Amino acid sequence: MTLQLNVNGQNHQVNVSDGSMPLLWVLRDLLGLTGTKYGCGIEVCGACTVMVDGQPELSCDLDVTSAAGRKIVTIEGLSANRSHPVQQAWVAGQVPQCGYCQSGVIMTMACKMKAGARGSDAVKEVKNLCVCGTYQRMKEASKTI
Amino acid sequence: MTNTQEKKSSSRRSFLSAAASGLTLTFLIPDFTRIDEALGASGTQVNAWLNVAIDETITLTVGSSEMGQGSFTGLAQVVAEELMVDFSRVRTVQGSPSMTSPVPVGASINTVGSGVIRGNFWKMRDAGAIAREMLVKAAMNQRADQVRTNFTVANGVVTHTPTRSTLSYGSLAAAAALLPPPATAPLVPDNEFRIIGKTVPRQDIPSKVDGSAKYGLDVQVPGMVYAVVKHCPTFGGTMSTKPSTPSGMLAVVPLSVFAGTGRGTEVTGAVNAIAVVGPNTWDVWQASRRLTVRWNLPANAASLNDAEFLRQANALAVSAPAYVPGGANPPGTLYTVEGAAAATDSALSSSAKIVDATYFLPYVSHACMEVLNCTVSYSPAVKCEIWAPTQSAKSVLQLAMAMTGLLENQIVVHTMYLGGGLGRKAEVDFVSQAIQVSIAVGKPVKLMWPREEDFARDQYRPMGLVHAKAGLDSSGNITGWSYRNISPSILGQRGAVLGPKGDSQGSEASNALPYNFGSRNVEWVSHPSPIPVGFWRSVGASINTFAVECFMDELAAAANQDPYQFRRTKLTDPRWIAVLDAAAQLGNWTSPLPAGRTRGIAIGAAFNSIVAQVVEISNVTTTSITINRVSLAIDPYIHVNPGQIEAQMQGGIVHGLNAALYGKQTFVNGAAQAKNFNRSRMIRLNEMPQIAVQIVANPTLSDRTRVIGGAGELGVPTFAPALANAYFKKTGKRQRSLPFFPNATMGEL
Ligand code: FES
Ligand code: FES
Repeated sequence: MTLQLNVNGQNHQVNVSDGSMPLLWVLRDLLGLTGTKYGCGIEVCGACTVMVDGQPELSCDLDVTSAAGRKIVTIEGLSANRSHPVQQAWVAGQVPQCGYCQSGVIMTMACKMKAGARGSDAVKEVKNLCVCGTYQRMKEASKTI
Repeated sequence: MTNTQEKKSSSRRSFLSAAASGLTLTFLIPDFTRIDEALGASGTQVNAWLNVAIDETITLTVGSSEMGQGSFTGLAQVVAEELMVDFSRVRTVQGSPSMTSPVPVGASINTVGSGVIRGNFWKMRDAGAIAREMLVKAAMNQRADQVRTNFTVANGVVTHTPTRSTLSYGSLAAAAALLPPPATAPLVPDNEFRIIGKTVPRQDIPSKVDGSAKYGLDVQVPGMVYAVVKHCPTFGGTMSTKPSTPSGMLAVVPLSVFAGTGRGTEVTGAVNAIAVVGPNTWDVWQASRRLTVRWNLPANAASLNDAEFLRQANALAVSAPAYVPGGANPPGTLYTVEGAAAATDSALSSSAKIVDATYFLPYVSHACMEVLNCTVSYSPAVKCEIWAPTQSAKSVLQLAMAMTGLLENQIVVHTMYLGGGLGRKAEVDFVSQAIQVSIAVGKPVKLMWPREEDFARDQYRPMGLVHAKAGLDSSGNITGWSYRNISPSILGQRGAVLGPKGDSQGSEASNALPYNFGSRNVEWVSHPSPIPVGFWRSVGASINTFAVECFMDELAAAANQDPYQFRRTKLTDPRWIAVLDAAAQLGNWTSPLPAGRTRGIAIGAAFNSIVAQVVEISNVTTTSITINRVSLAIDPYIHVNPGQIEAQMQGGIVHGLNAALYGKQTFVNGAAQAKNFNRSRMIRLNEMPQIAVQIVANPTLSDRTRVIGGAGELGVPTFAPALANAYFKKTGKRQRSLPFFPNATMGEL
């Protein structure tokens, strides 16, 4: 089936054989947007977090069919030149280690900030798993935004 | 591009690539001394090289892998210091492996053992200094003034002081490339360091906040298909009949264990998995889930159970046949690592007090955030290109040569960013599978292990059972120390024939401890469990430091002494004492705590660094412990980037914390039970303790006879015992078995 997806402000037509394909794999395999990560596939880790209509969504568990027609923002579309305050704070605070979880973390933060929260409050709602254990630097960096 | 003229005249230290682009200094890691062999070989690539280009750019190509540990940045700092340029001018890029190397195959580019900085510090300094002196020499020639003291260098510009004229590195690079490299070059004195020992930003971080960093799983190649792996759920099982290809899929490819990649139950040639191949990850994964594969289960499946492993370990704790030189020494053999049993037994028999305890640690999964994966594009008899998140690029190259019969120059290995390695990505089993699939389907393929396979088919941190016994005299001195660790052999599963001291990985951090133990006897027994085991961040130290430091705490209690002071009075190495003191001070050991809080302390060494931790806890329930604060002191002898050491200590503590509280893989009839994060809990941000890190300074930095310590794995070993010791203080109970909460689960977000 063919679906219309709006990702990072652009409309994309995607062909999927299975309408229940999670948005995660559509983004990664069909659209080549590999910044959104696969970690667990069972809604536990948060590595796959994207912004859908301004809200954080776990793309490993969001059918592409239900994502059609909504405004999807991935890490690639969060800002031009890493200019989003969370990205800037994350670079200044040297947060990422392996970095694999950070797209999901930053998208979660960005959604919470969009809702008007201060960085130090937004970070308290970050439940994403970071196996590298960068939580302390996440907390410190979020105080600067 | 090697200038053959230069080969004969060059020193044994380095050789040149005289290229129009400027000065390229190639240096060998980790062994300078056999350069002649490398020069005689035809390969053009060695493990690292430094290029000063005519356009003023400076590029350091590094063969090791970047998995967040920041060693690329650390190496660039060292080179920039000696080249006397701003750190920001040295760009680090990922190199590719080569068989041309002065070291044994597979040993050179592995990113393991916290080794990138500690293995390369002096080589990088020499390389930077030699390059700098060659550039200065070019300036001396150009100014026709051979008095070195008439030239100074700053920020990549050589100044001829008598004429005050300046020459940039870029303008000198082409001429410098034609000069013979000096045998040695003076290093920047410690007190003039501008970059070594300073926190500088990591070069890979910007790409890790905008989704542009390419990890192994992100590789996309034109014409690529996707493969998802499904193993026999039971270790040692093999495919019975090949299933037919599901509709919409391209192929089902049986995967066999390639020589050298199988561990324990997985024997060479056994078909232990299949790959379903098709158009995208999701469709293939779904087809793989639906596919019924008939497996032949191994005859010993029923004995591959936790209870049986424990029974075997307990039996071996009581009696095990001793190693016989030249004998068969099958699993279950006892190796003497240090001392002799008879002497220690007799010291113990005359002690005023005897304390003994048994500790148990389970198998633990790696659970890297990025699952195992590999992309391969194979063209028969022509080329094999591999993109892998690997800690062992050279092993990948070697494997590809063996599997394809291609020559080295027909194989290209791209080391991608790793979404965590933790030791698991030093293995190449997943790479061998991707090569098999690409050969079978004749297309480029990206192969992925779903998270469930990543957990169920890990090469786990070995289980370990430790029995410790010690004697105390009436003044609280230790009169004898008897220690036996029973655990499966990591090296044995890799084909090593163990010598009289057994598996060095298994006994790591249990011997040569600088405590005054009186008579000591340290033993290691190979446990017969064939469940695949491997290198897990901090390896043997994760088992032994737990047992040693919990037991030291038990001895302190038996001697009725403060655990910090007890250790301090037993330590014989001033560096250990300084580290212990620093951690105790950072953790306010002697000040009273708020009600409900307690502290525990532990110290240990691994990879030539010494670390001590003070862990502060509160609120102990049957399912949780609040960890409030961790204070860590480390002495790595030399440190390059303190901010990065701090980050690694934080990460190592979290790794140790996850394992201590929750980490455990369970086996029922040969099948792993925890297959995703829901059954392998880890902490989230709200559970993060406050961590303080202090680097203990050493008086003389640049003594090149001293051994430099690592950082990457060092936060791990001392956390669990410090936690267990705090728990004892809080509850009066000893936690001798890990994890604290084996049945914990992790809920959905
Ligand atoms: S991949 Fe979606 S929550 Fe883990
Ligand atoms: S930075 Fe590696 S998992 Fe978070």
